[in-house]
Amino acid sequence: MGKARRPVQIIILTLIVILGGYAIGTAVFGGEKGIPQAGDKPPAFNLRGLDGQVHNLEKYQGKALVINFWATWCKYCVNEMPALQTQWEKWKDQDVVILGINTGEDDLTVANFVKQTGVDFPILFDKKNEIVRKYGVVPMPTTFFVNKRGKIISIHQGELNLKTLNQQIATLVASN
Amino acid sequence: MIKNTKCECGHQNPVGTVLCEACGKPQYEEADHSSSELLEMRYDGVARRSQRANPNFIDKIWNFFSSVKVAVYLISITLVAAMLGTVFTQETMFVKNFDPSTYYKQKYGTIGEIYYMLGLSDTYNSWWFILLLVMIGASLVICSLDRVLPLYRALSKQKIRKHMQFLTRQRVVYQGPVSGRGEEWVNRAIAPLKKKGYRVHTDGGALLAEKQRFSRWGPYVIHIGLIVFLLAVLFRGLPGLHLDEHYWFPEGEITQIPDTNYYLKNEKFTVEYYTEDEMSDEFKQKGKIVPKLFETKAVLYQCVASCNDPLKEPELVEVDRHNIRVNDPLSYKGLQAYQFDFEEVTTLRYVQPTLVDQETGEVYGKFMLRMNDPETEYDVGPYHLKLKDKYLDFGLDENNKPITKSGEPNAPAFLFTITGPGLPEDGGQFIYFPFLQQQELFGQDKLNEALGGINHKLRFDMIAMEDVDFIHFTSFLNIRIDRAMPFVWTGLGIVMVGLIMGFYWQHRRIWLRIDDGILTLGGHTTKNWFGMRREVSSFLETMGIEVDEKSLDNGGNRS
Repeated sequence: MGKARRPVQIIILTLIVILGGYAIGTAVFGGEKGIPQAGDKPPAFNLRGLDGQVHNLEKYQGKALVINFWATWCKYCVNEMPALQTQWEKWKDQDVVILGINTGEDDLTVANFVKQTGVDFPILFDKKNEIVRKYGVVPMPTTFFVNKRGKIISIHQGELNLKTLNQQIATLVASN
Repeated sequence: MIKNTKCECGHQNPVGTVLCEACGKPQYEEADHSSSELLEMRYDGVARRSQRANPNFIDKIWNFFSSVKVAVYLISITLVAAMLGTVFTQETMFVKNFDPSTYYKQKYGTIGEIYYMLGLSDTYNSWWFILLLVMIGASLVICSLDRVLPLYRALSKQKIRKHMQFLTRQRVVYQGPVSGRGEEWVNRAIAPLKKKGYRVHTDGGALLAEKQRFSRWGPYVIHIGLIVFLLAVLFRGLPGLHLDEHYWFPEGEITQIPDTNYYLKNEKFTVEYYTEDEMSDEFKQKGKIVPKLFETKAVLYQCVASCNDPLKEPELVEVDRHNIRVNDPLSYKGLQAYQFDFEEVTTLRYVQPTLVDQETGEVYGKFMLRMNDPETEYDVGPYHLKLKDKYLDFGLDENNKPITKSGEPNAPAFLFTITGPGLPEDGGQFIYFPFLQQQELFGQDKLNEALGGINHKLRFDMIAMEDVDFIHFTSFLNIRIDRAMPFVWTGLGIVMVGLIMGFYWQHRRIWLRIDDGILTLGGHTTKNWFGMRREVSSFLETMGIEVDEKSLDNGGNRS
């Protein structure tokens, strides 16, 4: 018994530090909750796309992502669509993917809109507004720039024009 | 300084042992036997595990947590902190957006500001409060380990023949002559002691009788329970274990409860207001409308298949049903839904227009047109309707192109291509506004004329009240999941068992030895000394020794 004393002490103290540290850590950083900020990982999603496929972060692992939240009734979202399309065409060969997450609208509306504007980057349906809530999106549009290592580099609220979008993607591609 | 810890009986004791582990002779005392003070019987005089001659860094930490004094301080500080947390409303109690940095100052003034600055506005989730709990936990674990093992050792191998000093310095002591040989007397003593429920061990002219030893483990059982309790409290923040959120549930809709496998349908929401006669004068003057009762007829569903597959509809199974009222939540397997608030809304859910032939007046039938996710093809009578476009909030942009202004069905409009008898081969277009006033406002007829094709042949009519369905209310429910609660209760249950063990039983021991016809008896109990005295005196009586109960008490009126 006497010889086992030291290892027992060390094991127990280590366990207390680990468990205690975890408990305090979750208290301080609020666990899973909270709106993602620059530097965080983007929250997971699993959404149906207009193409009938499932889209999630795993699918785009290793690619830089521009996650854009939009709706057809949002004027600024509609305005920035051509810019997104242009940049998608420009950057897609460099492993940049633009994802347009539509918020709460149905297939017909979205399909008609996409047909009209001619955008061809992946459009995803967030019918229950679940992902919008997870990403803490308040004003529309909001765009998240995620680098190839799966880290949010910046979050842009409001309309993006061609120039700023180009800059943002350039920074994104350069970022590690 | 190294002390010689070897007792005269030959036993090598660990550092810090008060009484020799074997014979019970007090250590570190003058050899002249002059002291007659009662012995310190805590942990049977055995050294706590952590007491060592040369403590190093780890030992020092260990000793810190091993100290009961430290534990008492920790508990006291935690109690005070917990009390301070009850002074003002905690941040976690607010549901709707509020800013704690200004709230406390505005509501409570400078004190409120200080309260917020000190972090007391979120006491129970603050790092320092959790740190205190963790430290109490560490103290519980280390205190128990440090004492329970030595005590176990001391109690499991007790020497029957104890040192004379050990016996005479117990609180219950008797000394007197007995007749006959010592061994015989001891053998005669076994039966009456057994009758009193003791387990008796003898060693020639010495005897040890012991009962209810298990009650000594009560405090440690309490500790184990408290550790379970603390772990449950500290880790309820783990994903899936705890949820306390407020969500909106529109009437008639099956809404998923975020981050869970559950869906809740608000079948119907009802609110009843106090009539004017029922209200107090004060309220009447204020002209307030006060709700008397609000109730959500709720159905809880659980997703059983294709829950996370966005390509399929989730398969739901009804698991519970309850009319949720204030203080009467729906409760299912740790999930609770409390009525919290409601909002009166008027949102169009669906319309059931009737297709009518303008020329013949013939009615072809009804079809259901949902605002969200409508079907795209309908067959009504001989006609085929294809939904081409949909505007929830119809408007025109600068170029006079139709757009939708919001995601709410404020001014819904539906554009159909209709094919069938009397219509052109490739069909005619028809735009339909469910709201009558909007048909006029936006000029439905004119638009349809411009679109051409139908040429006044068909009409969409709303005939009955039931053809329109609105969401009238949306109910605000507080969804709570606390899967840590069973662990909390288990912990508390164990604590209760420990308390009972310690409270209702006492560990009693009687040692005796006979040297040259003189009986020396010492008795020890964890509590209830009067009972112990009585038991010893009645035992001596059966052995033919008359002795007054009170005279057995060896000084000290501690009870």
